[in-house]
Amino acid sequence: MSDRLTEATGTSLVGGAEQRSSRSLPLLLVPILGAGAVLALVPLWLGDSGVLMGVAVLGVAFACYTIGFNVIFGSTGQLFLCVGALAGTGGYGAAILAEEVGLPLMVSIAAATIASSLIGGLLSFVAVRRSLGVIFTGIITLIFSLSFEALVLGLSSLTGGDTGRLIESGADTFLRDRIPPYYLMLALALLFLFVHGLLRRSHVGWAWRALRDDEVAAELAGVDVARYRVYAAMVGGAMLGLAGATFAFTEGRISPTTFGFAEVDVVVIVMLAFGGIGSLFGPTLGAVTFTIVDEVLIEFGQLRLVAYGALVIVLFLWIPRGVIPTISDLFQRRYRIGRTPAERGASPGPEAPGSEDRG
Amino acid sequence: MIANILDGIVLGLQFGLLAAGLTLVYGLGGVLNLAYGQMAVTAAMVALFAMDAGVPAFLAVLLALVAGGLAGLVLDLTVLRPVYRLHGEARVLLSLLLSLGVAFMVDGFLNWRYPLKALTLGIGGGPVEILGVPMRRGSVWASAITLLTFAALFAFFRYAALGRAVRSVIEDEEGARLVGIDPARMLRLILVLSGGLAALVAVTRSMVVAVDVQAGVSITVSALIVTVVGGLGSVAGALLAGIILGIVSIVAADLIGTYVSLIILLGAAAGTILVRPAGLLGVRD
Repeated sequence: MSDRLTEATGTSLVGGAEQRSSRSLPLLLVPILGAGAVLALVPLWLGDSGVLMGVAVLGVAFACYTIGFNVIFGSTGQLFLCVGALAGTGGYGAAILAEEVGLPLMVSIAAATIASSLIGGLLSFVAVRRSLGVIFTGIITLIFSLSFEALVLGLSSLTGGDTGRLIESGADTFLRDRIPPYYLMLALALLFLFVHGLLRRSHVGWAWRALRDDEVAAELAGVDVARYRVYAAMVGGAMLGLAGATFAFTEGRISPTTFGFAEVDVVVIVMLAFGGIGSLFGPTLGAVTFTIVDEVLIEFGQLRLVAYGALVIVLFLWIPRGVIPTISDLFQRRYRIGRTPAERGASPGPEAPGSEDRG
Repeated sequence: MIANILDGIVLGLQFGLLAAGLTLVYGLGGVLNLAYGQMAVTAAMVALFAMDAGVPAFLAVLLALVAGGLAGLVLDLTVLRPVYRLHGEARVLLSLLLSLGVAFMVDGFLNWRYPLKALTLGIGGGPVEILGVPMRRGSVWASAITLLTFAALFAFFRYAALGRAVRSVIEDEEGARLVGIDPARMLRLILVLSGGLAALVAVTRSMVVAVDVQAGVSITVSALIVTVVGGLGSVAGALLAGIILGIVSIVAADLIGTYVSLIILLGAAAGTILVRPAGLLGVRD
């Protein structure tokens, strides 16, 4: 029975996983360090301008957010529309713990990270338990996002309400220099990439691919779908919380818009969709591209939003799978490397976002 | 307290009509239109410019309804074309993302060109006494129009051949196709209707409070929450959920405060999804 099931459903999946895990660690580390080396040169170029370095730090923070979102949505198909709220849990949580409760900086960052990881896990657990589909998971997490925003506005004695909260702690350290925050955020992004890369080639990544491609088949083949979904949400939630907390301390001021739905979630979705949902380097490419695009378009004010909207439409119509999977597909079709015959035969027609996993 | 409940019903009726437009499109075509609020705002702006140009208010409102319907038609003929080629969750997801793109474009354009515009339809005359509570004449008018529209909607879906055809597609698309109903045409019709409903809500809302250019996102979000609570694809559910949520939000805002009331509203929506994923009167889950 189980043999037949594997044959009917999981053959290509298992093949793909084996092929992946046979690659050695350097093959994972080299591209990550390569990307890191390129991004590490940015301060040489922009280091003189405080404003542009601020933009760069924000860009890398968004790369971190997008990687976290990719772990949740790209790996397991859970549409978490609360990226900003989870990052905000980290940011506001760490700031409040450090300044109102008086915990040391590192402890409060760690506690806030754990909190946002647990919230992510809880949301995922509820969604899995009630077997909510993509859309309802999206709506539940959107509701969490909106509640978080209302809470931040409502608890103005702690959060500073609409005007935001100034963060005094860490003000006299390297966290507020011009260049060190950039390297700190970059180190975080590389760490996230490394963790995501490691997870992808472990049994966890195998289960993620299985349950995302066909949930029922994965469940039948013995994958504990609920558990691996919650894992993804906890790992992604921790990444978002840690990135949000770190960003808050380097910024020195957080407000509802720092972690707002329109300001974070929407942008992160566009970045991920551009780079490639589910691919390892898609989030980084998307974040870098859109940070530059945003900076170029900044003088157009509200018209920037029009450009964004047009870009979203064009993106999803022409390259629904994102840049990295599309390019890597072209490359692989030309050189016929690393694909099973079945995959090679499959037509690469337009597919739903989130249904592919390459890069 | 009675005043609050009456205010809640006024708001709730508008919530309900708003959700009806969104829920029909979702129930019929599996399309989640996140540009819904922007359709409403566009229609409101059409009414505003028409009135600024000296068109009488009644005609301006009609123009707004036509503009809303046209917006639905344009959406159907352009961005949603590729969406119809997909099925199931992939279709919902693509429709959601593409209409989000449209929402950005409309929002960006309106905020850039007319950042300070807002539509207010002043209804003259003093307050009207209802159950011993003096209600603003605008609120009464808005609620009466909304109720009439709901009655028309129910009659359309129950008695008109076209309305029954739409219902048959919601229940079973394949079966409807077999008896000669073209689901694509029904969907186009419903998108036009949905645009008209969005426009109507924008216009009636402006009799109670000003509808400004930035209102798009919050209109979409309210419509989405009410839709989810009421049940996807159910007009009656939209009405019921709208009234309940309207009352809850006004009463909670008065008793506890605005932010907490929003959280209670959101909590109610989340609770409904968790307890009854199909919504109060959902057609299917």
